[in-house]
Amino acid sequence: MIQLNGMTKRHGEVLAVDDLTFTVRPGLVTGFLGPNGAGKSTTMRMILGLDLPTSGTATVNGRLHQDLPHPLREVGSLLEAQAVHPRRTARKHLLYLAQTNDLPPARVDEVLDLVGLTDAADRPAGVFSLGMSQRLGIAAALLGDPPVLLLDEPVNGLDPEGVLWIRTLIRGLAAEGRTVLVSSHLMSEMALTADRLVVIGKGRLIAEAAIGEFTGNDGAVLVRTPESASFARRLELSGAHVRAGRDGELVVTGMTAPDMGRLAAAEGVPLFELTPRRTSLEEAFMELTRDSVEYGAAR
Amino acid sequence: MTVLGAEWTKFSSIRATMTLSLATVAASAALGFLFSNASARQYATATPQERLDFAPLDLGMRGLFVVQLLVAALGVLVASSEYGSGTMRASVAAVGGRGRLLAAKAGMTVLTALPVSVAGVWLMYVAGQTTLAAGGAPYVMPGDPAALRLLLLGPLVFTSLALFGLALGFLLRGTAPAVNVSTAFLLLPILSTASPAPVRDFISAYWPNMAAFQTVSGTSELPVWVGSGILVGFVAVMLIVAYVQFKNRDA
Ligand SMILES: Nc1ncnc2c1ncn2[C@@H]1O[C@H](COP(=O)(O)OP(=O)(O)O)[C@@H](O)[C@H]1O
Ligand SMILES: [Mg+2]
Repeated sequence: MIQLNGMTKRHGEVLAVDDLTFTVRPGLVTGFLGPNGAGKSTTMRMILGLDLPTSGTATVNGRLHQDLPHPLREVGSLLEAQAVHPRRTARKHLLYLAQTNDLPPARVDEVLDLVGLTDAADRPAGVFSLGMSQRLGIAAALLGDPPVLLLDEPVNGLDPEGVLWIRTLIRGLAAEGRTVLVSSHLMSEMALTADRLVVIGKGRLIAEAAIGEFTGNDGAVLVRTPESASFARRLELSGAHVRAGRDGELVVTGMTAPDMGRLAAAEGVPLFELTPRRTSLEEAFMELTRDSVEYGAAR
Repeated sequence: MTVLGAEWTKFSSIRATMTLSLATVAASAALGFLFSNASARQYATATPQERLDFAPLDLGMRGLFVVQLLVAALGVLVASSEYGSGTMRASVAAVGGRGRLLAAKAGMTVLTALPVSVAGVWLMYVAGQTTLAAGGAPYVMPGDPAALRLLLLGPLVFTSLALFGLALGFLLRGTAPAVNVSTAFLLLPILSTASPAPVRDFISAYWPNMAAFQTVSGTSELPVWVGSGILVGFVAVMLIVAYVQFKNRDA
């Protein structure tokens, strides 16, 4: 469980994170979504006690990170910038982290095996490919078998095989009952892994809900008919609101699909299509973050 | 204790830190020989007055001015190699309390710099004095009070300088800037010999590394505890400033 309470981080003029309050629950993958520059990495660094908040607090399992006697046993993390000394072997890197938390050296072999790095364990981390570095980062995150995991853009730059591996791993970690917070600037990625979403833009909380709530029916109905102009007028007379869609279809709100079907039948209007519209996650994200994208379009 | 063990794993798994430790010891022996060898030759052709002024201990230990830079750099690396590679964040996230991490690094610095300093000072002494003796110049036996004081207190002075380096590594967050500042600071007394006499005299008596060296080698009017106290107090202040800054800045 992670709880943020009014977290704010200011860098001079830049308000990187602006009064964020939300809770990340166990047993679910919580997607932390926002365009580049939204403040995701800063928020994660503050949870880990790396960046000091200007105001507000973040607790992991009810405690501030700095008060955790063995932090790696409480919260594992994969940060955006990989932090391994290029001349140090993967094994030594994990060993020193294990030592800081009184973890047995055998645990290092276990996590190396878990991420498939056993054969590369004694090579300096500087020669690792991006995929291997990411696996080493995951190994470090899992070292203390923590109930809470923070993963900052874990699939960035990975090949399809690596992306699939991470997705499966993330789902598995949540299924084991852990609290998993995964950031991304890609809604499509979140659609595949997250159960819940916390969406931020320009450092502010925009939305927080189960992923289904983002993709639900938004109440609009798409209508396709050869008599669109006259049917549109008829619909408006019945109190509906009508807009023209992209390909000549009508986008109707304020009336249900069955009522529209009955109206069309009564008027003898032929209907080619009558579909309650489902917004895609991508559209929902664009809509949500439209006003808060910092550098042009969200990539 | 466990965090200290982790510091040793970090230190021993990087070649730069291990190499620098060995190089410091090797350089001490080599400089002891080189300076003494040159001094012995000068002694051979010196006037009687020059022979009276001949100070075998100081001449044989002149290399300490170079060695102090290496020992301080060793302390710098304990902090700066983490900033250079970005592992400081991983370390802070793993250890949690920043005071504990800094304390472990200070402990690590002492545990490496002390043996290196003992080996360096003693080897320089042995190499220097035997070279002088072999060259037919006067030399100082280890039983001599001045030599004994240098052999016992010298390594402690050097270890303090390593802690000074550590503090700079934390404050400046990079090997190059911290080594540059440390080197400039430690060599300033030598560079200041061109300045007006009052300034020069003040620096040579009270500049932290000079105060300690001069009193330990018996060339200062100050008592040993004052000279050493100036250095220890200075290093303590540096470490406190480093801690306060480390605690209050983003990692
Ligand atoms: N150390 C820093 N100094 C100044 N500005 C920063 C610093 N770190 C982050 N920022 C700014 O804070 C904002 C949020 O950055 P970041 O947390 O990296 O966003 P995200 O991870 O969502 O892309 C950006 O505008 C970024 O430029
Ligand atoms: Mg980021």
